[in-house]
Amino acid sequence: MADAATAVAAGSLFLDAAGMKALGAAIAIAVTGLASAIAEKDIGTAAIGAMAENEGLFGKGLILTVIPETIVIFGLVVALLINSA
Amino acid sequence: MSRPKEMTRAVIVGHKNILKETIDALHNTNLFHIEDFVEDESGFKISKPFKNAEEASKKLVKIRSIANYLGIESKKPVVQKSDSVLRDLDSKLNELDRTISAKTESISQLENELKDMDSQKKELLPYLSINLDFDYYRGYENLKVFAGIVKGSLEASQVSSITQAYELYFDPQSKTVVLFVAKNDADRVYELLQDLGFKELRVPERGGVPSELLRFIEQKEAEVTKRIESFKVEIESLKVKYADFILASDEVLSIESQKAELPLRIATSANAFIIDGWTPSEDYDKVVSVVNSATNGKAYITSLEVHEEEEEHAPVEYNNSKIVAPMQQIMDLYSRPKYTEIDPSAAIFITFPLIYGLILGDIGYALILGAIALAIRTAVKSDAVKPLMDILIYCQISTLIFGVIYGEFLGFSLASMHTVHGVVPGLIPGWNTINLFAGIGGEEVTFPIHRTHMVMTMIAISVIVGLLHLNLGFLFGFSNISRHHGMKHAVLEKGSWIIIELGAIIAAIGYFGGSGLMYVGAGILVLGIVMLTIGEGIKGPIELPSLMGNALSYARIIAVGLSSIYIASTVNDIAFKMIWIDHSQIGFAAIAAIIVLILGHGLNTVLSIIAPGLHALRLQYVEFFGKFYEGGGRKFNPFGYIRKYTEE
Repeated sequence: MADAATAVAAGSLFLDAAGMKALGAAIAIAVTGLASAIAEKDIGTAAIGAMAENEGLFGKGLILTVIPETIVIFGLVVALLINSA
Repeated sequence: MSRPKEMTRAVIVGHKNILKETIDALHNTNLFHIEDFVEDESGFKISKPFKNAEEASKKLVKIRSIANYLGIESKKPVVQKSDSVLRDLDSKLNELDRTISAKTESISQLENELKDMDSQKKELLPYLSINLDFDYYRGYENLKVFAGIVKGSLEASQVSSITQAYELYFDPQSKTVVLFVAKNDADRVYELLQDLGFKELRVPERGGVPSELLRFIEQKEAEVTKRIESFKVEIESLKVKYADFILASDEVLSIESQKAELPLRIATSANAFIIDGWTPSEDYDKVVSVVNSATNGKAYITSLEVHEEEEEHAPVEYNNSKIVAPMQQIMDLYSRPKYTEIDPSAAIFITFPLIYGLILGDIGYALILGAIALAIRTAVKSDAVKPLMDILIYCQISTLIFGVIYGEFLGFSLASMHTVHGVVPGLIPGWNTINLFAGIGGEEVTFPIHRTHMVMTMIAISVIVGLLHLNLGFLFGFSNISRHHGMKHAVLEKGSWIIIELGAIIAAIGYFGGSGLMYVGAGILVLGIVMLTIGEGIKGPIELPSLMGNALSYARIIAVGLSSIYIASTVNDIAFKMIWIDHSQIGFAAIAAIIVLILGHGLNTVLSIIAPGLHALRLQYVEFFGKFYEGGGRKFNPFGYIRKYTEE
């Protein structure tokens, strides 16, 4: 335990500031990406179902499906901000 | 910005004895969109179809089933006179029908024979190794014949332990048994066989040695197959011979049945008819003169005044120049504009390729995709493919321009860049980036723009492009609303958004500049919000944050672009490192490197259509259209037919 504590203090076991930044950016992208995927999965399934009934719904289906994509775009912006901060 | 073609509502009234002439004339002009009559309390009824309707549709069904059977596809048209097609139609159609059904009958007969022979062959196969004439299997008084298959193996000793009067044929490979025994011992032998899992086989009825029979059947099979082939060739030649006739008569009959069934869609009384519909205002005079000359002026035509609620339902015909026309595909994919709103095709003609180019921006991919699009456009004659290729070409022109601005070629930077961290090499020696001015976050804006080295600045630029795009949407919305609900509504509902943005920008400048401008901006912002609340109710302020979301959504322009660059430059890295592994000779690594290069860029080329295309499309549909567009217009579908294979 004592060894680990000194290692943390020395910054050798865990990440240094740059590493933490990179990790933070990665989490921002990964989690928002997953969130978008989960949201789009359900909408996309329903949109395909609706299109099977009426092909004219492609435009509306596409729009509804891509709406959650904004989440990952926010994640991207945050990641880039972290990276350049 | 164009609006859909202006429509005039017209009504044609006349006596029933000129109905046919009127219908013919309208059909020829192909300019009149007929509104289907729905029976109501007015006393008018829909009429019956003309007498020839049933016959025409019967023949049409026949022709189409023949065309379907022969696999006739539309081809380069040979134009024929429709009268002559009609004259020969019955005789030719009957002849064609007869020949084809005779041939298909023969083919199906022959195919049945083939099936028969196949099952005969299957019967023969187990006996092949024993090869005993089938006549020997029957006609005995004191002998019992067992022919079949066993599971284990059968030894002669097993039979001889029961009886000495036997003759055994056994093929250990196929496990076929043919056993002749005296009738007296048959029951006991049968028991033995059953213990071995004996399954009886049918003995073919015809006599002869199996191997010879098999050869005979195979010979016959080949003959029959040959005859079927020759019939198929004959049918194929029929296809060549009659293709023009079938296409032309399909067209003529379609027109006939269209005309003959029109009375089902119009209002009639005992002696009169009313045809109600729409025609482009520019063509109204032409419709009047054509109908008048066809009926000697006996039909009464008049245009009606269109009320506002009727206008909503007027059919919509695009009114775009030839260059912009391909963009109508993008509109139709979403929804045709309403008659009363702006048709944004012309705006999309600029913004869609612009955003696509901003995302992709690579000289190499622009040239590859442009060449592919041009090749497909010239090779494929389909009317559905052409506009799509046109759109792709527009996008590639824009990509090429941005490729030069970005200085990118298949993921390589063309110009080398000198930064404090070192030199980023470029593909063209001696071409260095020029520093123009300082960007955001300590980045330098250069020419050519190195996107990977100025991400923050590019995000800002993307969002600014987005704001401009969104404001174009607000302006369209402003125009739509001011046209129908007046200037006051337009200012409150759409103008307020622009005022809010203005307020936010002034406040931001004031905040960073540290001047009193911030309070002025905040004041304008609040004014805008109040106007919005008056204009759209409580819904307005709730939607305020979506403005930020929409604007940030344009950050995908740089995000998707970077992903494309990284894929391309990774492919380049891998391939070039492999080549340099062993530079003394051209070996395996070099060949693998070339394969990696081609496959990698092939993949990225395909992605370069999908990713920027879909994202550019989404920015139009979600962010841009969300600000003004309603859609849901009806297609202008004139009564008529675009003839390809016949003429009057």
